[in-house]
Amino acid sequence: MTIFSSLSMLAATAAPKPMSPILSGPPEALLVLALPILGVILCTLCAIMRVRTRMPAFLTVGCLAAAFAITVGLYLKSGPAPVITSGFEWINLSWGDSAGENSPFHQFIANFSLYLDALTVLWMLFVTGLATLIALYASEYMSGDVGTGYCRFFAAFNLFVFSMSCLVMGDNMLMLFLGWEGVGLCSYLLIGYFYKKPSAVEAAKKAFILNRIGDLGLLMGICLTYVHFGSIEYRDIFAQAQPYIDAAKAGRYSEIPAIVQLIPVLLAVGAFGKSAQLPLYVWLPDAMEGPTPVSALIHAATMVTAGVYLVARMYPLFLLSEIALPLVGWVGALTALFAATIGMAQFDIKRIMAYSTVSQLGYMFAGLGVLTSTGAAFHVVTHAFFKALLFLSCGAIMHGFAGQLDLRKLSGLRRMKGWGIVSLGMLVGCLNLAGFPFTSGFFSKDMLIGEAFVTPGTAPIGWILLLTAGLTAYYTFRVFFRVIVGPVHYEPGDELHSAHEEHAHGDSHNEHAHGDSHNEHAHVEDDHQHHDHGHGGHFHPHAPGWAINTVLLTLSVLSLAASGLYFVPTGVHGGAVPAMVDRSSAAYQSPFAHHAIPEGAGDGGHEGPDHAAETVPSYVPTSIAMEDPHAVEHPHENAGTFLGWDPHAVLFYVSGAVGFIGIFVAYVLHYAGRTTAATARADALLPMLGPIPRWAQHKWYVDEFYNLVVRVPLLALAHTFHLIDKLLVDGLVRMFGAIPRWLGTLIRPTQSGELHGYAAGMATGIAVLLFIVFMLTLR
Amino acid sequence: MNTVWTLAQAGYPAALPEATLAHYLFVSAAMFVIGLIGFLTRRNLIIMFLCTELMFQAAGIALVSFSRFHMNMTGQSFVIFIVTVAAAEAAMALALVVLLFRKRESLDAEEWTELKG
Amino acid sequence: MLQYIHPLALYAACGIGAIGVCIALPRREGKNPQILGAVIASLAGAVVLISMGLAAGGFFGAGLSPSIYYYVFAFLALGASLRVITHPRPVYAALYFVLSILATAGLFLLLSAEFMAFALVIVYAGAILITYLFVIMLATQAPTEEMENALTEYDASAREPVVATAAGFVLLAVLSTLLFRGVQDLPHLKNNAGQSLLAEMPRKIESGLRASGKLPEGGKVITNEKGEATIDFAARSVQVKTAGGETVSVQLPADMAVSNVEMVGFNLLRDHPGSIEIAGVILLMAMLGAVVLSRKQVQLDEDAKERHAKSLAAEFAQGAETNP
Repeated sequence: MTIFSSLSMLAATAAPKPMSPILSGPPEALLVLALPILGVILCTLCAIMRVRTRMPAFLTVGCLAAAFAITVGLYLKSGPAPVITSGFEWINLSWGDSAGENSPFHQFIANFSLYLDALTVLWMLFVTGLATLIALYASEYMSGDVGTGYCRFFAAFNLFVFSMSCLVMGDNMLMLFLGWEGVGLCSYLLIGYFYKKPSAVEAAKKAFILNRIGDLGLLMGICLTYVHFGSIEYRDIFAQAQPYIDAAKAGRYSEIPAIVQLIPVLLAVGAFGKSAQLPLYVWLPDAMEGPTPVSALIHAATMVTAGVYLVARMYPLFLLSEIALPLVGWVGALTALFAATIGMAQFDIKRIMAYSTVSQLGYMFAGLGVLTSTGAAFHVVTHAFFKALLFLSCGAIMHGFAGQLDLRKLSGLRRMKGWGIVSLGMLVGCLNLAGFPFTSGFFSKDMLIGEAFVTPGTAPIGWILLLTAGLTAYYTFRVFFRVIVGPVHYEPGDELHSAHEEHAHGDSHNEHAHGDSHNEHAHVEDDHQHHDHGHGGHFHPHAPGWAINTVLLTLSVLSLAASGLYFVPTGVHGGAVPAMVDRSSAAYQSPFAHHAIPEGAGDGGHEGPDHAAETVPSYVPTSIAMEDPHAVEHPHENAGTFLGWDPHAVLFYVSGAVGFIGIFVAYVLHYAGRTTAATARADALLPMLGPIPRWAQHKWYVDEFYNLVVRVPLLALAHTFHLIDKLLVDGLVRMFGAIPRWLGTLIRPTQSGELHGYAAGMATGIAVLLFIVFMLTLR
Repeated sequence: MNTVWTLAQAGYPAALPEATLAHYLFVSAAMFVIGLIGFLTRRNLIIMFLCTELMFQAAGIALVSFSRFHMNMTGQSFVIFIVTVAAAEAAMALALVVLLFRKRESLDAEEWTELKG
Repeated sequence: MLQYIHPLALYAACGIGAIGVCIALPRREGKNPQILGAVIASLAGAVVLISMGLAAGGFFGAGLSPSIYYYVFAFLALGASLRVITHPRPVYAALYFVLSILATAGLFLLLSAEFMAFALVIVYAGAILITYLFVIMLATQAPTEEMENALTEYDASAREPVVATAAGFVLLAVLSTLLFRGVQDLPHLKNNAGQSLLAEMPRKIESGLRASGKLPEGGKVITNEKGEATIDFAARSVQVKTAGGETVSVQLPADMAVSNVEMVGFNLLRDHPGSIEIAGVILLMAMLGAVVLSRKQVQLDEDAKERHAKSLAAEFAQGAETNP
């Protein structure tokens, strides 16, 4: 932690001042929340009316597209200052006496209101946009389940979008928590969508339970925030944190109460849980048991970035803690490396993508940790597009090959008829993920790595990220070279036979009834026929239909076009997305960076550290910044370097080269000279590494470790309690039950059921009583 | 009203026949025991109910004689209530007896042992 | 020592009575010596009663001994009760019960409880016993031609007569001993109670005075605000207001007294009005219950059906034999 001491001190020097929000926000923002709810209701109605067409999918696409359109409108309207749209009063509690001095007046207010700043709009843009596209994709992907399952899927899908919108757009931490738990719930519901499949149920439970750990941290953070600041509304928090920010600027961390420094740490724990960081990442790879659109939307593009969003949203608080940002940065970097090593050794392409997601999320956290919230947000956006693209491509493959995901059993997809767009999508996604020059992934990753070297003391993180970039390029193209190119070979998987079967066959009769109206239904029927005699006869892969292809093509274009964002002239280095982030609460103007120079200010020159302390908040509009004579103009003299060069200038080439190396290694090991699907040159080299590949393939035995450390003792404890309960407690209860029963059997024969018997008993009783009285009065 | 107005002065009630309370109570006790024995030994449901009426009678005799010897009319009022209850019981019990007879065509109390434990 | 009878005599009488009752109870095997049993039991009762009479100061009218009516009614009541429980035929048992009721009513008369005596006769002998007789008729199997006088098994034999009788008479012995011992310390007879009720009946006084011609012309008995007449019990006089408006004191007739019916009426309706209401409700409910119960259709159970079928089959076979 020592290397971060300087970072922590410097971090706060450039912390922004809060800007008072505008309270009359655009009312249509509420529609962004209302439309997914409408979708939920419509899908539920479809389920009730037993709709057996793809109606719910198109309703969903319609609702989400409308929400996206509104979001775009919000983007166009958005100004420099945050805007608050009031929905309705949700929770408004007050206690204590407002007049009395001894008993302070307490209030707890959580309105259903929306906090719209650039960060919110940025997040909502890709959330609603991707959700629309993926819903369209899912309309075809899930067509085997048309019927109740289909409605259930899309209802949960809509509910997810609603929850995510709550999370992102809420103007207080309780709404964020509502959305946070809502997305967790939807994630649980959708991972466990194939609830007849034990592994899916297990994965759903795992995701839910592991998220609880993080959520506890978040909840405690929210409670502490309320306890200290007396409010959970962002604008109040930021306003009240201002004195601390000033103190931090002056380096007087001792003036900041420990409780305030604890809040960001707790929030970070929550973020680690939701965004699958060490040590809570284990649920995300297992979450791939859900349908692939779910993996693409929830577990790659949107929900898992909620942690990043949380840190970015609460960035002013994170700047107040000496350990929160270093913690975030190191956890992110280590997660990135760790997940990449696991991803290198997997064979299931969807799992590889899952681990790459964990790894890329690690990048984002590392970016936040090295004080480039803009870079992190940029990476979130680019990653959302290309990772969704990759997942959807994998999903198309899985869909077409009956659940086959093993890269040793698929090869040469490019040359098969109808798989061109999937291959293209895979190529674009892989290039982005590998950081191939001039792709959007390249720019965003470069920004993160460069900033890690610029910020003093974080060079180790930079080196880790650079190494990880090479590994990422390798494992990404390992998939590409094994599956997309090479000799044509495939084997069908068996997942659809086990999991989809109940749904699919149950609905196949209805397919015939409605089938002629849609082209896709013909595909579905073909698919079923293949399944029916799939085991014995040979298998025909079933190429994706128009919906999947459209979505893949759109996403490919968007992924490539996202790099264009980098070049949009906005006056901020990094283009449009960083420019947006700089207008939000996540804004942080690194005193070491040269990327935020207002146009015309130019490079060169040095300023003293005292000037850095007066840095103008970067989310203040550019025009204001320019008027300020002390606007940051020059790189800080303490700024780190990359082996003596300016990191941003050099890393442009270095990271490109690293990506090339990774791709080349993958080419050599997995493509060159490969004649079969099952083996490649890499297999021959593996024994040289000893047991390490096997360990990596077994995910470094982390699951087993957790099992041993957490699950086994808990189970043992539970079994012990169960035994105690059964033997001791139940035994006692049974004993108390047994005594009357035993007594009953003892005296039961006296009950003859005959009237005379009872009468005789009564007479005898009277006689005995009288006799006793007689003897007593005898004396 | 505090003046004692003797029985002889009023000429009423008529002079008590010289039997004492114990005499009447013995009749009451004997009648009660006879009824009890009948209830225990007879098997005809109707006769058993007649025996309970006998026991009611015995109680009535005891109450009336106590009432007379204490000159407290509440005892006689109680006999009225006893008669009431006896009438109600007779109505209900006899209706039940008819039902039971319809079911088994027998009035034997020993036929009914459903309450056997 | 007991005042009325020597305990040994009492116990012996109880024992003898037990033997008598035991003999008298119906028994299936052999001829029933019921008369013998009844005689023995009556002897035992007589021993007790007569010895009590002797203890009280002589037999038949001398001293404090009870009047002859007491003996007659007591013997009748107990004897009839004995026949109720020993007679094998329910109809006769019920009729003996009527006799027992009548004898009890006689005892009530001796106790100057006229209202109770007549109520007993009317309600018991007149109403309840009629119901019993009807039910006995209803709930008896129609006698077949050749078994006209046959008794059903459960009527013909008593159940555990020896044990029950022994227990009963032990109870009687203990009970009587306790009773005799307990009433020794009772306060002496109070005969004056209830006469103060006369003040509450000014109209009765008025009509009594008018009938005896003692009431002045147009005179009225003076009542206070509670409606009570002003009686001087020592002088047996009542305050009367004449037509002229002056208050005079008038001597009450010699036969003016509160009757038993009046006393019971006052006691019932003035002191226990709620109980009267409840008793009425109980009677109503009993009536409803009886109506509901007897309307109910009851299925013969399996045993009864089997029995029925057998008797029908036997009848049929007999018919086939007699009418070939």
